[in-house]
Amino acid sequence: MSKAVKIQQSTEDGLRSFFESLLQNKTVKGIFTLRKTNDEGGISYALITDVEDLKNAVPLYPQMPTNAGKILSDFTLLEPIQEPVAAVLRPCELRAFTELVKRNHGNLDNVLLISLTCGGVLSLKSLRGGNGTKDLSSYWESVGKADLAPDIRETCNTCVQFIPQNADMVIATVGQKDMDKECTIFATTPKGEEYAQAAPGSTVSEEMENEKTQALMDKRSEQKATSLETFKNNQSGLKALIKTFAPCLGCHGCRQVCPICLCHLCDFDSKTLEYQPVNVRSELNQKGGLKVPPGNIFFHLGRMSHMAVSCVSCGMCSDVCPVNIPVATLFSTVGDALEKVFEYVPGRSLDEPVPEGTYKEQEFVEIGEQ
Amino acid sequence: MNETHTHKPSIIGFLCTWCSYTGADLAGTARMKIPAEFRVIRVMCSGRIDPLFVLKAFLKGADGVMMMGCHPGDCHYQKGNYNARRRYVTLNNILDTLGLEKDRVGLWWVSASEAPRFKQVTTDFADTVQKLGPNPLREEIYL
Amino acid sequence: MNSTHKDDKSEGMAGKILPAEDGITSAIITFLKKSLEEKQLEAVMIPSKIPDTEAWTWLLLQDESLLASCNPLPPVMTVQGGKALSNVTKHGDLHEKVAAVMRPCEVQAAVELLKLKQIDLDNIYLISVDCPGAMPLQDYMADPEKTAKAFEEAFSTWGENESVRPICQICHQFSLPLPQQSAPSDNSPPKNEAKFPAADLHIGLIGGDGTNVFLIPATAKGQDLLDKLDLSAEDSMVNWESKVEEIRERKFNKRKAADAEWKAKTEGVDNLAAVFDDCINCHNCKSACPVCYCQQCYFDSQLLQFSPESYLGRAEKRGSLRFPLDTLLFHVGRMSHMALSCVSCGACEDACPMSIPVGQVFTMMGNKTQDYFAYTPGLDRNEPLPLQIFKEDEFGEVETPREGAEAPAEETEKNV
Repeated sequence: MSKAVKIQQSTEDGLRSFFESLLQNKTVKGIFTLRKTNDEGGISYALITDVEDLKNAVPLYPQMPTNAGKILSDFTLLEPIQEPVAAVLRPCELRAFTELVKRNHGNLDNVLLISLTCGGVLSLKSLRGGNGTKDLSSYWESVGKADLAPDIRETCNTCVQFIPQNADMVIATVGQKDMDKECTIFATTPKGEEYAQAAPGSTVSEEMENEKTQALMDKRSEQKATSLETFKNNQSGLKALIKTFAPCLGCHGCRQVCPICLCHLCDFDSKTLEYQPVNVRSELNQKGGLKVPPGNIFFHLGRMSHMAVSCVSCGMCSDVCPVNIPVATLFSTVGDALEKVFEYVPGRSLDEPVPEGTYKEQEFVEIGEQ
Repeated sequence: MNETHTHKPSIIGFLCTWCSYTGADLAGTARMKIPAEFRVIRVMCSGRIDPLFVLKAFLKGADGVMMMGCHPGDCHYQKGNYNARRRYVTLNNILDTLGLEKDRVGLWWVSASEAPRFKQVTTDFADTVQKLGPNPLREEIYL
Repeated sequence: MNSTHKDDKSEGMAGKILPAEDGITSAIITFLKKSLEEKQLEAVMIPSKIPDTEAWTWLLLQDESLLASCNPLPPVMTVQGGKALSNVTKHGDLHEKVAAVMRPCEVQAAVELLKLKQIDLDNIYLISVDCPGAMPLQDYMADPEKTAKAFEEAFSTWGENESVRPICQICHQFSLPLPQQSAPSDNSPPKNEAKFPAADLHIGLIGGDGTNVFLIPATAKGQDLLDKLDLSAEDSMVNWESKVEEIRERKFNKRKAADAEWKAKTEGVDNLAAVFDDCINCHNCKSACPVCYCQQCYFDSQLLQFSPESYLGRAEKRGSLRFPLDTLLFHVGRMSHMALSCVSCGACEDACPMSIPVGQVFTMMGNKTQDYFAYTPGLDRNEPLPLQIFKEDEFGEVETPREGAEAPAEETEKNV
């Protein structure tokens, strides 16, 4: 049983009231969340410090313009925030931030982590063009019923980690059929409980995980299994891999938006991996032809070897790809396999060391001795 | 236009200086033969082997790629080989999940005195790789 | 050597006619094949389809059989050709005679990159082709067959096609720049004084009705290549030239209209912010841009990394602060870095996942800034970049404070 605050307003209005009280009491200096940029459907993350501006906050809008974990990492890269700030993040964004903190690329001090049980986000392509605000009624209906929502990212459809683990507070959405009347915010840490006192509502005891969330968990698990099966049948093998990455432009947008890819200068942009004339000639002579720019598959497999074990399956990479390559599906699938082998779940715990650069003396003992 | 592929498999070996390279050298002075075109790239420690080295060799069409180092606990730099082991596991699982020929890439611990072991593992691996046939990536243009 | 710069206007340029009974693509491929067979060329860089897919890529080839899947004018521009060529010659000459067959804007980018020391053109024969435009990349990805079919029509609607990318619809550099023939009047498009035209050889399609292809040498190198190949007798290109001029004038006017339109759409912070409102700061535009060559972009660097206090302070000043930060700084900053070299290829717009008309905005800015310096990127290899040189006596007008200058606007904009 967890402590929760129930506010007798719609979930979004209730959140705004809570944020209002946090700002007015000066309990926090700012609220980091999604915000409307105009009336034509523009959405972006923002740090809101003025109570008046809270009317533009849309914390639950099912869009992820950038992985918020990456933004918080940039925000706290040089040093921790000195004053309290509340941040609303989706579970995968929170896991990404945790992964970055473990790599010394971010600091959790003074950040109130507010997450939500997540029904997924709509793909950026379905939101492109800002032709007025998108009609979200079918989305919210699905979420309320703990159904698979339409038009969400492929990685959202197969996500079984939609219940956040390390947040201070969790906004309930999945399976909540009265979101237009009620706002339920769970306080899942002592810090969360303390901040919850600012919420204009009554405290109750409730289960964060219930039969509704379990229902969605089951549906998502099924999708995940199907997706893996499809992958094994259609996208396995050299020929399939080449086909999948055939349209790749080498723009590296996938890497740019990936929260785990933190290198200021990526190996694949560095001088080390540039082709010298002798390399071009030797490959040209060897094969009779050379794809230009070379190193397409090398980039993707190389990036996998660097970060896939920490892939949080947020799906930003697929969304940003100009040629619709299902990068996220591939990286997520490989990531899952690696996570299994290393018994690692990215973002599960700050105390769990990142698999790269660490080791156990007694592991994989059969390897090397054959 | 393309070179005639020899029937002997081409194998690239990344060997650590203190153990496996010395072991290989010992095998060499004892005139032990390996049934493959074997190219050695010497590194100070198996922990220096960047997974990208192995990937690059594999994607360029090497029929086999071997990572070699000291037995766990014997690393000249204490723990480099543990990191190498994890990197190998990572690569192995990536290749396996994507349905690429993971058996073309392997990791072996060979100490400085283990000349016969060096001959054994390289011969066995050359055999494995021979059975797999030439690496199709060698001819693949659209990588 | 037959000069391509005739003083006598009536003779125009000279070139060779290649019959194209099996179509334009086939004729060009045959010409390239012949060049390889006769060892006039050792390799060719040309767009190729990837087998069993609808995807296009650049292919550097020695094996003639690979030409079977190649096409000098695919329906889309994937990687910008200048960028691709730079990728393989950045660190020096390949020491092989390579013909790079590209769209004119890609040739221009290659020449711009030469000035930026990012490419080696020593053994490269730059071959440009009359270009009807390219289709929007996202249309092609959604329906390759339909888009490829629509592209075919562009070859019979030169200068009037409205399905090619908007940036192509206003492109007046779709063909070989012609030698100065007369002093331009105020309203006519500038006839480029092509002392050193960008390409070595140009393939003319306009006016050929699909049954003929024109091979027009533009440099001594190009002439030399043509001479070595035993092709049909030389002919005058007057027909082609006059048609190109006609289309060029039409497109130039369209370009002027588009510039005015985009200037109005982006004037003032509010308007500019609105155009870039959907931007997610993925920087795909910069990555796709051929002239953005910096290994690490300033806008990705630690120079723009500040403390949380600084960010919080900025947020408090305005009431809220958009993240990721400095969207407009990135775009306007990138303009200030590369607009003078913008060849209006549209790679940026194709790469944008949010369908922002980046290319059209940057083209407008490119045109304005380039006009100011009377500079055309990628045309004359010997023309230095405007910011590499200066004259002691120029732009005096910017040194005098203007009368009635306004105080700077308050910082209220939240969406920058």
